[in-house]
Amino acid sequence: MNRLDVDPAVLLESEERRQLRTVLRDLFAESCGPEEVRKQVESARGHDQALWARLAGEIGVHGLALPEEYGGGGYTFAELAVALEEAGRVLCPAPLLSTVVLAGHALLGSGDRRACERWLPGIASGAVTATVAGFVQAADVTAERGPDGWVLRGEADFVPDGEGADLLLVVARAPDGERLFACEPVPPHGTHGSTCDRTARRVLDPTRRQALVRFRGTPAEPVGEPGQVSGIVDAVLGAGRVALAAEHVGGSAHALDATLEYVSQRTQFGRAIGSFQAVKHRLADLLVELEGARSASAYASACLAEWTPELPVAASAAAVACTGAYRLATTEYVQLHGGIGFTWEHPAHLYVRRARADEALFGTADDHRLRLAGLLGLTGTSG
Amino acid sequence: MSDIPEPEEFRAEARRWLAGTAERRAARQDWGSGDDSVAVFENWTETEERAHTDRIRDWERTRYDQGWGALDWPPEYGGRELPSYYEQLYRTEEAAFDVPRRTEVFPVTQQLVAPAIRIWGTDEQKARWLRPMLRTDELACQLFSETEAGSDLAAVRTRAVREGDGWRLRGHKVWTSGARVATWGVAVCRTDPDVPKHAGITVFLVRMDAPGVTVRPIRQMTGGSSFNEVYLDDVFVPDADRLGPVGQGWRVTLTVLAAERLDSGSLGLDNADRALHLARRLPRPLTGGERQQAADLFVRTLVQRLIGLRVTAAVAAGREPGAEASVGKLHATATMRATTDLVQQLLGPRLAADTGEWGTFAWTEHLLGAPGYRIAGGSDEIQRTILAERVLGLPKEPKGAVS
Ligand SMILES: Cc1cc2nc3c(=O)[nH]c(=O)nc-3n(C[C@H](O)[C@H](O)[C@H](O)COP(=O)(O)OP(=O)(O)OC[C@H]3O[C@@H](n4cnc5c(N)ncnc54)[C@H](O)[C@@H]3O)c2cc1C
Repeated sequence: MNRLDVDPAVLLESEERRQLRTVLRDLFAESCGPEEVRKQVESARGHDQALWARLAGEIGVHGLALPEEYGGGGYTFAELAVALEEAGRVLCPAPLLSTVVLAGHALLGSGDRRACERWLPGIASGAVTATVAGFVQAADVTAERGPDGWVLRGEADFVPDGEGADLLLVVARAPDGERLFACEPVPPHGTHGSTCDRTARRVLDPTRRQALVRFRGTPAEPVGEPGQVSGIVDAVLGAGRVALAAEHVGGSAHALDATLEYVSQRTQFGRAIGSFQAVKHRLADLLVELEGARSASAYASACLAEWTPELPVAASAAAVACTGAYRLATTEYVQLHGGIGFTWEHPAHLYVRRARADEALFGTADDHRLRLAGLLGLTGTSG
Repeated sequence: MSDIPEPEEFRAEARRWLAGTAERRAARQDWGSGDDSVAVFENWTETEERAHTDRIRDWERTRYDQGWGALDWPPEYGGRELPSYYEQLYRTEEAAFDVPRRTEVFPVTQQLVAPAIRIWGTDEQKARWLRPMLRTDELACQLFSETEAGSDLAAVRTRAVREGDGWRLRGHKVWTSGARVATWGVAVCRTDPDVPKHAGITVFLVRMDAPGVTVRPIRQMTGGSSFNEVYLDDVFVPDADRLGPVGQGWRVTLTVLAAERLDSGSLGLDNADRALHLARRLPRPLTGGERQQAADLFVRTLVQRLIGLRVTAAVAAGREPGAEASVGKLHATATMRATTDLVQQLLGPRLAADTGEWGTFAWTEHLLGAPGYRIAGGSDEIQRTILAERVLGLPKEPKGAVS
């Protein structure tokens, strides 16, 4: 890895991506400002379904990284990363990460054409929301063959956006080993009563819900073959980490921008607080971290777009750089706003909540450092 | 512009040329033998410094004469007018070969002073100076800092007074890297003490062997001497050696300082790579904390390299690099510090006392040299101020604090 062989051009924003960014920033400014985010979070579904439909339909965000044969736009993850960054910048509560990235990659990674044909077009069009269970946090779910097909029993906790998702992709123990299953917790035509209980957890980050899901003989269909699970889990976690890194770049950039605006206008001791060196230097350090995070995220997205062998290293490196930057950005966001930054009304705490809750999703920076040490052999020798 | 080779083609061509001209660097399998120096600043005697400078100069001349130097300069200066990032492409290839490691005076001459002469020099000066500097027949050092003018460089007191067709320079410069081997010194002087400090400055190129120039090495915390103090005692400089207009010296100086900031983005990477290799080869299993520390250093090197590539990509695409171009030096000094911290943890007592083992006590040279780059070329604090004011657009320090 010492000689980093990447084409510098992949780190540069293409004209197409720049345009996508502009369109999304305008859309979010109009329909996902701080007030709207709070309203959406308090609504039953936890996000704005009209915005969801516009993102999927008008802009085609959901299908960006999905193949055309499944209703996608046939672009790459690098384009989707732009959308995630912009969504992360405003803390858009729509379940993009769970539906498009996690569930989308679980289906794609399974290589199960029938399952992809059945579900991906709905994900691409915005008709279906989806999530995964048993990938991120270990779950205790078994699958058995009943008289009318497979059913699931057991429970999975901390399922992202699990309460409202139309489709769950669940890792469960079947008699022939671990396997991936698809289930619809609310059956489409009332064919069976509710056999799946979903309890929304009280969460640190209200813009990203989590649920405890209990399966009580819930009908499910196998996806892919037995023995494939570890590959699918790797693919989903890899994509999840890279996606989160992009969101974190957006969130950190917002925190820096908002803080810059505030310290330039707020005066104390007869001058703008942004002219005090203690303040300036901290924001300069934040810029240094943010540019590092941006670089690591762009590289990881490029690796994911091409599924290069460097992806596992790039994804964890991006996780280290981006969670670090987000922690710092959100800490300074509150601190440099003084008392107003500590109020419930100010959006800063929503970013603190997002940054910290996300670390529990795919691992803290220290978890990723340990993983990297293993991947890179930074372990010493046995003597 | 069609005769610009594709990057891949260019790199292959460079590899072929290097293979026929230089020795391939010993592979990493040879860990445990060979040169284990990780010095940031060399601890050489004057004789050693001259001998090493001659070796580096021989290599730079070979490069230049065979069409592999001055790559982004026009043919009239011996170059090929390639986009500037081809120099980086070339260096990536060169890193695999055993060529002499350049000391500071070389990048100062080729990357800092020569481009400033190209911007500010007269046609006569360009004709006289550029080829010899790019070929390193002439080497230039920076006579900028003084005891009372460090971060606040515009406070220089070294006086230049007009005399006939030239100037008489009198003053005392400090911390001048490479002054013992340089043939020219770029001196920032005060020509008008009666105007605001930035307006009274003029820049001259001073022959380091001119009567009245005295170079005295300063011993630095590493124990050796790579920088010096330079006395200018009524040194005569012909007006033909004035760089840029009288009174415009601050702008000339800023040109050099900006180039220095951009040139420092890859500092520290070689030693960090070595420290990571130490983490792989250490003859005991690392603790969890040590693994995390090593991985963190790895992430820093990766990020620092990616930032460099982003600058390259922006330049290659004809765009002005953004914030990424200014954050490089702060990333570099942080990498150097993290390298020291990791090595300290891994080597323990072997860093504090020399057991004679390969690749252990040698790290003291990194430990003691690394702090220098947080001070040289604009300290970390000055870099932060520059980022805050020029990139983030925050208000300047109130007047009076900087006068
Ligand atoms: C290894 C090395 C090589 C060098 N090579 C050369 C060379 O070749 N030619 C040359 O001309 N010079 C050279 N220098 C000198 C270097 O440029 C100066 O040391 C540097 O600019 C700092 O100036 P100073 O030493 O006077 O420290 P000061 O300016 O006195 O700074 C002392 C401390 O105060 C801080 N400080 C100063 N002003 C501010 C401010 N406004 N806000 C916040 N903090 C501040 C600094 O960051 C530093 O931490 C070299 C220095 C070193 C260490």
